Amino acid sequence: MPRVFFATDLHGSEVCWKKFLNAAKFYGADILICGGDMTGKAIVPVVSENGHFSVALGGERQTVPAEQVAEIENNIRRKGYYPLRMSVERLHELDQDAGKRAACFQEVMLEGVERWMGMAAEKLHGTGVRVFVCPGNDDELEVDEVVRRSDFVELGEGRLVDIDGFSMISTGWSNPTPWKTHREDSEEELAQRIDAMASQVPDQSRAIFNLHCPPYKSGLDEAPAIDADLKLLHGGRALRPVGSTAVRAAIEKHQPLLSLHGHIHESKGAIKIGKTLSINPGSAYEEGMLMGAVIQLDAKKGIKSYQLVNG
Amino acid sequence: MADTTMGTAARPALFLRNATGLVKAWSTFDAFVYSFWSVNLVTLGLYGMSFVYWQPDGNLLASILIFGVLTTFLVVTYAMLVSVMPRTGGDYAWQSRVLGGGPGFVLSITGWWFTLFLWAPIYANILNVQFFLPLAYTLGWKDVATFFTSQVGVFVSCLIVLAFVSVVVTLGMETYARIQKICFWVGIVGLVVVCGLLLFASQQDFQNAFNREAASLFGASGNAYQTTIDLGTKAGYAPHDFSYFALGPVFLVMPFLAFYLLWPNWGATLYGEVRGAKDIRKPFWSMFWGLWVTIGLVVLVLVLTVKTMGWTFYNAANAAWFNNLYYGGDAPPVATWPYPVMFAGFLVDNHLFQALLILVMGLWFFGWAGTLFLSSTRVIFAAAFDRVLPSWAANISTGRRVPYGALILMIVPSLVLSAVWAFKPDFQAVFLDATAVLALTFLATTVAAIILPWRRKDLYDASPIASYKVAGIPAITIVGVITAAFLVFMLWEWSFNPDNLYGTTFSKTLNSVYYFVATYVVAIVIYVVAYFVRRNQGIDLSRIHHEIPVE
Repeated sequence: MPRVFFATDLHGSEVCWKKFLNAAKFYGADILICGGDMTGKAIVPVVSENGHFSVALGGERQTVPAEQVAEIENNIRRKGYYPLRMSVERLHELDQDAGKRAACFQEVMLEGVERWMGMAAEKLHGTGVRVFVCPGNDDELEVDEVVRRSDFVELGEGRLVDIDGFSMISTGWSNPTPWKTHREDSEEELAQRIDAMASQVPDQSRAIFNLHCPPYKSGLDEAPAIDADLKLLHGGRALRPVGSTAVRAAIEKHQPLLSLHGHIHESKGAIKIGKTLSINPGSAYEEGMLMGAVIQLDAKKGIKSYQLVNG
Repeated sequence: MADTTMGTAARPALFLRNATGLVKAWSTFDAFVYSFWSVNLVTLGLYGMSFVYWQPDGNLLASILIFGVLTTFLVVTYAMLVSVMPRTGGDYAWQSRVLGGGPGFVLSITGWWFTLFLWAPIYANILNVQFFLPLAYTLGWKDVATFFTSQVGVFVSCLIVLAFVSVVVTLGMETYARIQKICFWVGIVGLVVVCGLLLFASQQDFQNAFNREAASLFGASGNAYQTTIDLGTKAGYAPHDFSYFALGPVFLVMPFLAFYLLWPNWGATLYGEVRGAKDIRKPFWSMFWGLWVTIGLVVLVLVLTVKTMGWTFYNAANAAWFNNLYYGGDAPPVATWPYPVMFAGFLVDNHLFQALLILVMGLWFFGWAGTLFLSSTRVIFAAAFDRVLPSWAANISTGRRVPYGALILMIVPSLVLSAVWAFKPDFQAVFLDATAVLALTFLATTVAAIILPWRRKDLYDASPIASYKVAGIPAITIVGVITAAFLVFMLWEWSFNPDNLYGTTFSKTLNSVYYFVATYVVAIVIYVVAYFVRRNQGIDLSRIHHEIPVE
């Protein structure tokens, strides 16, 4: 029976993606599922001038010779940021023009995803391991096409797929967030999106709901409270449930065997909602740590065991 | 060429896109309030300092300042750990990831879970002596006061504390944070009033007021002020001038101060939930100012107390009270714990004002005590998610999101120990060790910090503190060694002080030794049982924190 490794919210961390691919061998997993939000949140300009490169990382600006740039770029990728070499003029242009900045972001993100797809094929092709990716609300819609083009990695979004007799449905769409990201639905629309897939599942007792957004008030969805200005309240100690009521209703209605979530990095946990085991492994991509869940599926028991790990 | 179009300083360090979780940093003041409460000047500080008469040769002010400097290293150590691994669980997560799952579980669970059972009755005792009793005496409710001094009354007080902390956990931190802020500002106003009373009154005014209220509220006759000093001296207190200084005894006072000054990092178990925590400055300054503002206020309150009440009276009153309580000595004229707030209130000849002052200053208790189990529930959650504890330990209710599993694990043992506290006074030495065991937990975390750059090089190198080095040695290692030396000194004194100065010397308090050895054994047993049970389920607990190879 398949052993699943699930991780999510890698946010551009190349170290985490490499660990994700290596998790198959490390945990003996047959199925790798990346739950969404693959792409990074920031571009770090590596500015070329006078034969040197200058970069500001962690609040400190440093100037390095050309031969050290690759190391700096690796360090930037490790944190989930995109290093981008550019001239001072290009830096100025991007700083001034939001449109060009957005286009630049899309270019580096799609290039990054394409590179990741290539790495997956190179590492795991022929091993029998299946890799699923379902872009999340922070991933632009164009990411899907890049994944679709991969001849190895399988796109999960909006599909019902069979995993050795278990059915998995996936969506990276979330309920509305204060950031107005790329894949946000109203709760009603999200419910329809999930139900359209869930209704095709032949046997809910062998179903996996891979839904990026966690269920509301599940303990997997507790995020620091913020005000309208996106400022953390009460020293960041006050938590609020921000999950989706549609996701919760879908789980309560269909009672799948397993539901996999992400989205709220701080809200790591595993809980039961009725018969369903719901997991959010959390994310610590900035540390280069891959938080994940190893789930051993079983023909009779459904889930033989599960474990949250910090790889 | 370059800087003609855009100066280096004006260049953007990075371009951010619109993405979930990109928030503006939390207010340092908000986090400061939490840290300030942790080293609670009134609730913990006044109570903790009432024991320093046991070391009269130690200059209290010097000891407080040295303690502050050394605890600052603890603050730096924890701030650095927060910035490397800002994850929920704090001590448990850091120890597990650096020292290993088993040692991490045993060391942190004994401190953050088992030892906090003891703090419920300790808090109840403080609630009694700082709130119920002075309020009852001031209002002339003698029966109420008598009840709360009885064993049943002490147990009821424990139940009130447990009910209060359970309600806070149920309400959630957002609601309690609002309550805390109100308590903070009103409590500060109360402290200003106390300081004002002490500032503008002379020592003669205080003596007259004390004698008047001792007679009015407690039925004492004659010069109660002098009688209190005489009883304190008779109890063994050897008076020294407030400015008396001898280096060695200064350090021996520090384990008493740990009761309140060692906790500016209390909220570190929660920083993992804060996205801004990776910025070392925020957690550092929050904890730093929490510690040092408190120290500043302690110095102010002490100086004013010495000026108006008298240093000899302050210590003698405590000596007389504890001599009566523990050794059956003569009862002091004011037959309750010498609460400086109550004494300051005596300066106003109005019982309603005095009661109001006690009520207002009681907010220092209610603004802080509610967080008693908050960190514990986080640690229990983390252990449950690691499958060391059963999954039900992390269950929360659907409606109000009450973590009932963790609450049961905290409250049931606390109830048992509260009963022990109330009805078995000879077992109370165990409770004196509550500070020491938490210090041991901090020491384990500090050891993790010291070896972090080598043991988890991957995490360290990726962190913002990787560039902080002194003579090539990682700064976290250096501050960790200093912190460890400080903690080891106090642990040594608590455990082996030949005079049993702190009431915790191993050879004199075998009950405590047995109790705490038992807690470590229980923690080891839980981990070992979990290890084999999980192995039978196909789960290898040892791999939780194993790093996946990158290449």
